[in-house]
Amino acid sequence: MTVYESDLPGVGKKHEVELGDGARLVIVTHNSGKREVFRRADADSDSEKLFELSDQLARQVGTLLEGAYFQPVQTDKIETLLGGDTMLEWVEVGEDSPVAGKTLADSDLRQATGASVIAIERGDRVIVSPGGDATLEAGDTLILIGPSEACRDVASMVRGD
Amino acid sequence: MAAALLELGHLFVVLAVTGAIALRLGLSVIPLYVVGGVLSGPFVAGRFGLPYVPNGEIVTLLAEVGIVLLLFFLGLEFSLDRLLESRTQITRAGVVDLVVNLPIGVAIGLVLGWSLVESLLLGGIVYISSSAIITKSLIDLGWIANPEAEPLLGTLVFEDLFIAVYLAVVTSLVLGGADAGTGSIVQSLAVAFGFLGLLLLAVQYGTSLFARLLGGAGQEAFVLRTLAVVVPISGAALALGVSEAVAAFFVGMGFATSGHREKIERRLSPIRDVFGAVFFFWIGVGTDPTLLAAAAVPLVLAVVLTTPAKVLSGYLGGRVYDLSERRSLRAGLGMVPRGEFSLVIAALAASGSTPVMREIIPAFAVGYVLLMSMLGTVLMGQSSVIERRVFRDGEERSEPTGG
Repeated sequence: MTVYESDLPGVGKKHEVELGDGARLVIVTHNSGKREVFRRADADSDSEKLFELSDQLARQVGTLLEGAYFQPVQTDKIETLLGGDTMLEWVEVGEDSPVAGKTLADSDLRQATGASVIAIERGDRVIVSPGGDATLEAGDTLILIGPSEACRDVASMVRGD
Repeated sequence: MAAALLELGHLFVVLAVTGAIALRLGLSVIPLYVVGGVLSGPFVAGRFGLPYVPNGEIVTLLAEVGIVLLLFFLGLEFSLDRLLESRTQITRAGVVDLVVNLPIGVAIGLVLGWSLVESLLLGGIVYISSSAIITKSLIDLGWIANPEAEPLLGTLVFEDLFIAVYLAVVTSLVLGGADAGTGSIVQSLAVAFGFLGLLLLAVQYGTSLFARLLGGAGQEAFVLRTLAVVVPISGAALALGVSEAVAAFFVGMGFATSGHREKIERRLSPIRDVFGAVFFFWIGVGTDPTLLAAAAVPLVLAVVLTTPAKVLSGYLGGRVYDLSERRSLRAGLGMVPRGEFSLVIAALAASGSTPVMREIIPAFAVGYVLLMSMLGTVLMGQSSVIERRVFRDGEERSEPTGG
């Protein structure tokens, strides 16, 4: 990646980033801190303005792009990829879930989908490697492992939606 | 006191209204502030018996602060390092710009039978493009991210440096030696360059002083301390018959390297905008539109000759930067607007001793800036149409890939 930097007297600084397909990303940093981001499809074409950010917002977006920062967001679904197509997934048992009140063996999750429950989080207690007789209750969080598609199937079934 | 306050109130009402009109019409505020000044000054509102803003001491003083701050900011933005970094390109483009445009203005003056100093003033007015209008148009049109921004801004940097030297010389000629012999011209030039030389030395070696002066100051103290340096030095310069504008420019350069540049720009730009607006207004207030008739001949000559000349020199400047013909043409169109510095030169001319300097040149400058700022903005806005006209063949061929 090549970055070209040039001064814009009276305005600020300009950085051009080669995108690889001949296009360039042009970032104009105004003295006021405002950033304007443009794209030039090729050397001959004019810059198309993509968006504009305030100084603070630009820094936050920048660290996000860098992967150095994220604001934890509450989600009901957290996925972690282990490699290959295997996923770890957290899923909460919903009030109307068909598996609520059943034991793990009765719910038949593994046979039906191919994903296994490796732990159950209940309040501040964690049941590790639950046996077939472990009961699933509404409000439990199941930690699943398995192929991503299987995890998704189990998740939608367990959530009860 | 009440009368003075009302006068000032009147001025700010006009500025606020004209500013709002400019925003609505999408025009630059500079020409409209001038028009607002003309209309509410003694020569228009006064003639019709309406309440008017007199061209008095208060407005003149505030306008003078406006000139000082405009040039101070120019110095602040001006980096000698930057100029040296790409000096071959900037210098070449800048010299072409200078050699093509300044002589045309001087020649128009000489043809009209004006003196050399008067012609030199005219040359400066038609030579110097408006950094404020051009930079704003670049941002508005999105050209700022295109390659043509570089020759445009580079040439403006060259013009800024040249205008500092030019103002230093011309101020001495106008204030010191217009009606005197060569001896006193030489003397006033010597005083000017002596003072500016000392100032440059102070600026060069005073960086740490400037830095310490501003370090740790609160918001209010910061603004006041900056003004406490710029304004007295500019005043001292003027008292010696040296351009106060150039002195302010040098002080700006001194502050630029103090490490406080961005803070100064952020905190003082509202003050500059207020006083700058008063300066443009003041130029209008001092303009008698009936004098525009007297300035009509140079005005028509200047518009007809200098518009294509600027487009040409800008085009050549673009070629120096290795731009394509299309982009070079665009750079040429972009250099057309004239504005604040033409008016600064006109203000200097108005303090001269001949009728041409006192009346014709200021009226000329107002008419010229109004026409060129609008013409330039229109040319920039319509550049795609013009480019298509000029490069009809090239356009058709490159359309499929360029679209």
